[in-house]
Amino acid sequence: MKIINKISLLFMTLIMSTSVFSEEILFGKAVNEEAKVSISTLLASPTEFLDKEVTISGTIVGVCSSRGCWVDIASDAKFEKLRIKVRDGDMVFPIHSKGRQALATGTLQAIELSLEETKKYKVNLAKRRGDTIDTENITVAMSIYQLSPIGVKILD
Amino acid sequence: MIKVGSIDWFKLNSTLHRDIGYLCIGFTIVFAISGIALNHVGDWDPNYIVERTEKVFLAKSDLPDKQLNVELLMLFPNSEPIKATYWESVTQYKLFFKNGGAITVNFAKETAVYEYFQERVIFKQFNTLHLNEAKKGWIVFSDIYAGLLLFLALSALFMVKGKYSAWRLKRGWLIIVGGSIPLIYIFW
Repeated sequence: MKIINKISLLFMTLIMSTSVFSEEILFGKAVNEEAKVSISTLLASPTEFLDKEVTISGTIVGVCSSRGCWVDIASDAKFEKLRIKVRDGDMVFPIHSKGRQALATGTLQAIELSLEETKKYKVNLAKRRGDTIDTENITVAMSIYQLSPIGVKILD
Repeated sequence: MIKVGSIDWFKLNSTLHRDIGYLCIGFTIVFAISGIALNHVGDWDPNYIVERTEKVFLAKSDLPDKQLNVELLMLFPNSEPIKATYWESVTQYKLFFKNGGAITVNFAKETAVYEYFQERVIFKQFNTLHLNEAKKGWIVFSDIYAGLLLFLALSALFMVKGKYSAWRLKRGWLIIVGGSIPLIYIFW
């Protein structure tokens, strides 16, 4: 009997530990696949999509390790990604979801940067692309964008 | 004895204080342990143990991705099957594995870093409960727990009679100290 209990416990542990990595994970409302827009299209003209419901998809390439409150989704364009951000605790994205495909429906939101932040952001962006830029020529502050989701589906 | 009608209120208070105290042991352990863990979030990761291995990687970034993957898998032979790859920048390439692990290559620094996040047993689960990240039903339980704690605090005032009563200065000063510490932090 004791051996049976041990085997059963081992089996359950195995199921639970593997399910963490293999199940489809859903958060919030159902994803609206009809509203699908590529990340590169969104980021090419973000003001057109501001506060409209859109669905994006791509590989998860970063996850907030402290509260699981954001994930970065790789764009279809090289060196580009879009952050999905929720209020702490609203959705908790597992750290092990890195590398998995995700779909997210939500609204695109702008975060306005100061001129100083804009310069830093553009220098960093240029670095990622292997370029250099002269910050003296940057005179206008910009906005960066993130998706505030109502539904997220992380695929197996 | 404080008796109104046939009810012994003093005894009832003591009994309730004792039984609710027993009921709260489990909740208190969860909230206290995770409370300490989360208080020190700046010093450690309360949810994950990060396994990190850094190695020298001399391959050039202009190699085809497939070739890069082969070389990285040779460098970290115990890696899981590849799940996805991503070019973070011209000098940074990432490889994601089925188990949630990842390799980050920095071509400028000629390094490849393998990272794997392993859940801290008990802490992760306790923190999830503490931060109300579990299912919505947990909010109901944690509200009930908060109510029970209030009861324990207030009923403690009527637990002991005589010179060690909460209402005599011999022990009552402890209540004054306990109440003053938060007030000092708020107003000073």
